[in-house]
Order: sequence, then C-alpha cells, then structure tokens
Amino acid sequence: MDKAGNNKHGPAGPTLFRQIATRLAAFTLLFAVLNVGIVVFTYSRQPESLAQELLTLEATKAQNTTELAPDLLEGPPGAEHWLARYIDPSEQAEKATELRPGILIDWTRRERLAEGYRISGVRSVIKDGRQRWLFMQFEGDGLRPYGPVIADEIIQHVVLPLIPLSLLLLLFNIVSVRRVLAPLRRAEAEIDALDPDNILARLSEAREPREVNTLVRAFNRALTRLDETMVILRGFTANAAHELRTPLSIMQLSLDKLPPSPLRDDLQADTQHMTRLVGQMLDLAQADALAVEADALVDLGDIGRAVVAAMAPKTFEADRELRFEAVGDTKMLGHAEAIYRIYRNLIDNALSHAPGPTPIEVTAGPGPQLSVRDYGPGIAAEDMPYIFERFWRKDRRRSDGAGLGLGIVQRLAQANGGVITVENMPSGGALFRVIFGPPEPNF
Amino acid sequence: MRLLLVEDNARLAGLIREGLDGQGFAVDWSETVADTEHILKINNYDLLLLDLGLPDGEGLDLVRSVRRRRNTTPILILTARGGLDDRVLGLDAGADDYLVKPFQIPELAARCRALLRRPGASLGTELVCGNVVLTSADRQVSVAGLAIESTPREVDLLECLLRRAGNVVSKPALESALYSMDAEVTPNALEACISRLRKRLTAAGAGVQIRTVHGVGYALFAPVAVNG
Repeated sequence: MDKAGNNKHGPAGPTLFRQIATRLAAFTLLFAVLNVGIVVFTYSRQPESLAQELLTLEATKAQNTTELAPDLLEGPPGAEHWLARYIDPSEQAEKATELRPGILIDWTRRERLAEGYRISGVRSVIKDGRQRWLFMQFEGDGLRPYGPVIADEIIQHVVLPLIPLSLLLLLFNIVSVRRVLAPLRRAEAEIDALDPDNILARLSEAREPREVNTLVRAFNRALTRLDETMVILRGFTANAAHELRTPLSIMQLSLDKLPPSPLRDDLQADTQHMTRLVGQMLDLAQADALAVEADALVDLGDIGRAVVAAMAPKTFEADRELRFEAVGDTKMLGHAEAIYRIYRNLIDNALSHAPGPTPIEVTAGPGPQLSVRDYGPGIAAEDMPYIFERFWRKDRRRSDGAGLGLGIVQRLAQANGGVITVENMPSGGALFRVIFGPPEPNF
Repeated sequence: MRLLLVEDNARLAGLIREGLDGQGFAVDWSETVADTEHILKINNYDLLLLDLGLPDGEGLDLVRSVRRRRNTTPILILTARGGLDDRVLGLDAGADDYLVKPFQIPELAARCRALLRRPGASLGTELVCGNVVLTSADRQVSVAGLAIESTPREVDLLECLLRRAGNVVSKPALESALYSMDAEVTPNALEACISRLRKRLTAAGAGVQIRTVHGVGYALFAPVAVNG
C-alpha cells in the first residue's frame, strides 16, 4: 500500500496476453467445428467417395496387419456382411495383365439394397514386398459404417493442419503481445517511480504502438495539468501567507496602542496565534515547493547553538530553561536555514507541551543527528500515529497552534535526507530525534 | 539617533514611526527606491530600516547599491518574506539584520539598539540596561545612579553583555573579548568572572539578570524592560 492507500498489486484482471490467447483458442475451436461440419456435409452428399474411402481404409488396415488373413479382419463397424479376400491372378494372368493393362485395377461399386447398401471393390496392397489385389464386399446400413472413414478424414483435414497452426498462432501471440506491450510496461514502471515532489518528471513517449503513445501522451498532459494545479495551490499558500503579514503587522501594532484591558490582551494573543499560523503555512508551502537545496556543508552544532541563543530569551520569559550540547563531529551536507527551522519548531513544540519550569535539552550529534528532549508528560500512545499529521492537534479547543510545527519538521527533515523519530523517555518527557542521511536526490 | 524607514505601506509606516518615536528614535520615512537613493545622498542616517518589496524596485538592490557606495550605515531589513533562503539572501546582499513581519515595537527597538551598539556604530558612549549604566569612556559602572567597584575584566564582560542585552552572547565571543589571543584561558575562568559579576550586581540591587544558557553562552536580561 502506498501513501494514498492504493494497493500496488490489486485484484488484477486477465492479462492482455491471456485474453488474446483465449479468444484465439475459442476461434480455433469454432473454426475446427466448422471444418468438421463441412467435411461431414461434403461426404454425406457424396456417398460414392465415402464408399471409396471406406474400402481404401480397410485395405490399408489389411496391408498393415501382418499376422491375420484379410478374412479375419473385423471390417467396418455395423457390417451386416463383410468379405475380404486376395484375388491373386495366376502367373499367366499376370503376364496377361502386362499385356492387357486395366484388367485388375482399383475399383469401387456402390449398390442400393432393400435394407441398405452394398459396397464392393478391389484395392491393390503391398504385402511382404509383393503387390497383391484385395477384393472386399460390404453390406450395411446408415452412417455408422462410415464412422472410421469420417474420423480419418477429420484427422487428415482438420486436426493435422489446425494443431500446428494454432500452436504457431499461440507462439506468435506470446512474442508479439510481449513486444507490443513492452512500452506499456515501461510506462507503468515510470508511473510507479513518479514522485509528487518531482513534478517535472514525464513519461518517456514510445513512438509505437500508437495506442500506448496516445495513452502516455494523455497521461503526460494530465500530469501537466496536475502540476499547474499544484503550482497554483503552492503559490496561493505562499502568496496568501506573504500578503497577510503586512495587515497582521498593522493589526498587531495598532492593538499595542490601545489602553491595557483584558480584551486587548485577548486580541493580542489572537493576533499572535494568527501570525504564527501564517508563518507556518508559509514555511510549509515553501518546504513543499522544493526550494530546499541541501548541499552545503553545515555544522549541526553551530546551527543548534544559534537557535538556542535566539530562542533563549523567549524560553526564559516562559520560565523554561534551554540547554544545548554538541557531541562529537556534527558536520554534514544540508540546508542551514531548514535545519535551523527544524530545531526551532521542535523547541517551540517542547515549549508548548512541557510545563514550566522544566528544562528543554537540545543536542547536536553524535554524527549527523539532532534531538530535542523535554520533561513534559510525553506523548500518549494513542496520539503517536497522528503527531506528524498536518493540522492535527490533540486538543482542538486550544488555540495556541495549528498543528503544523511537527509537519514542517518532518518535511524539512526529508528535504535534508533525514527521518524524525519520537520516543517517550523512561524518566519522563518526549525525545524527538532527527537522523540525517544522504539527501534525497529529488530535492 | 536618526533612522530612515523605507516602507511603502503608509499605515504601517505611521505605526512603526510612532512606536520607535516612543522608544527615543527619530524616524524619517521614504516610500520608494528612487526617493531613498535621493535622500541618502543628502542626509546621513545612523540606521536604515528597509522593506523589501517596494513599488519601484527591489529593496535588496537598494542594499547592494548602498554598499557599493561604501556606505556602512547598518541596514535592518523588515519584510513579509520569511522564506528559507530569504534571510541569507538579505544578509548576503549586505544587510546587517533581518526581521520578519509582523513584529512588535520592543523587538524592533531592541534589534535597532543592538545594531547601533555594535563597535564602530554610533551608540557606544553609554550602555544602559534596566538600572545598570556603563559609560565606555571612563569604564565606570553604576547601578541605580550609584557607582560600583569592579575589576577591568568584569567591566569588559559587562560591556559585552550590555552591547547584546536581551540576547545570548556565546562563550567564545566572551572569552575572546576578555583575554588576548596568547593568554592562557583556564576552563573555568569565564564562569568565575561571571559569578563575581553576578554577585556584585545583585549586591548593588541591579534590576538585571545574567542567565546561563548551557552549552551556548550567557545573556543579560532586564526582565521587565523587554515587554515595555
């Protein structure tokens, strides 16, 4: 499951290859049935040829049987009368045959009888390397005797040509579908690799097949529209926050001129809340808009010291104590201002959640990591999954924050190739730790 | 103290002038880059307060052109732009400090004072915080109008803290101000000196506090004065 809750391996329907294969198989089957129908129909219209084929088939059987005399052969099924006999002409006659060709030839005769038909005929067979003549006579009724003949015909004319053809088609199907769909698979991989942060990425356009090309181009057009919307959205957040700051300044300074009263204090607190919210929205919009180039050599210790120095007056005012410690080498590649804001938001968070007078401990290192620890109540287990969500607050009635601080930290940490973790300390309080790795290439 | 405020929003400019006036600054006002360029040719100011988005140009270009003319007047940028790279851009252009709107007058006044207190800047003859006054000419410290005894090193230390009153001064900065390069600095020398200065100020009834920021440095606060 990805972030949007889409299952990557969803309930997949049949592949295109399978669909084409099933259709091909069904078509081949239909074609075969049709073919059988045509064969049966053709022969039933031509009893003469059927009769010929029947005798030829029996003769072939006799030729291939070594031990049995032709009389003992079973004959066609449903035979009411069956006779098979070699009618070898005498040597003399044989000689005569040479002189008078045509006396002994393959022939077939079909006669109608009262209760069916009679087929008689002669076939030449090669027996033990010698040509012999086999006379056969058969009496029967209906189509049943023709069964083997028709079956033989079907094998000869339908099955034998169609099976290799079908196999060839299937093979061709596998190869061509695979090849034709390769651009589609490439597009799929590219779509999977799309990152909401890398908004300039587009799918590479395969020239063929045209269907894939048009789909990819349509998808790219959709991406462009999405980008435009994103740019407008981010731009709006940034501009709105920016434009709000001047009127907020005027409001704040005007309020200061009012005579002291509880109402003025409330209004001042509201204005400050609004100011903070606007600042956070701008920070978030900026962090989202990929403006972070985490490629300068920075010292987490120096930045931490600067943040703590800048925030100490405010912390003392809130009756809290801020401590800083740098452990080991704390140099890394990153964006100094982004890291500054990571510290600042984490300290702000600690200030609003831990009661005074408790210390807030800020640590840089060892290595590329920083942490902020407070001595407040810690984070309830049921809140853990939500604390990094934007606009989430444990108590919505409190108006001192918008629930954006930790979201900003997470985003800025990501921009610097970092991950943020939080744990409740056994001795009380929460510890937020950001561990930096190599920056993500997209930023 | 004479300040020039460059801000195109008339109402905001009025409020800032009024507020700074109450803090003892004289503030002139100009609205455009062109006006400002012109005024700067005629008058000398102790500090420039500059908005970035001006109707006829970029505030940052103004900063650059001022610095190109080797004018070292401190410049404090006041802006609605609080983006990740904006502060660095402003400081790189040659500004001395950067304050994001909205701000409160005491905060702005404190930043102005900090800029003016810098060595070489105009403010420097008398450093004041709460009821503590240090006159840099004769190195004399007084609390509530009464002169107090202190060693030269403590006076140096107090001067450092007073120049950045309300802000944290880092340990290395204090150490380098107290001891010359070649002098041996024992690890506890600074702590000991701070501790003596604290005792002396408390004994004299000073309304200021020297707070320790562990791992960073020290800060001098006048607890009430900051919020006016």
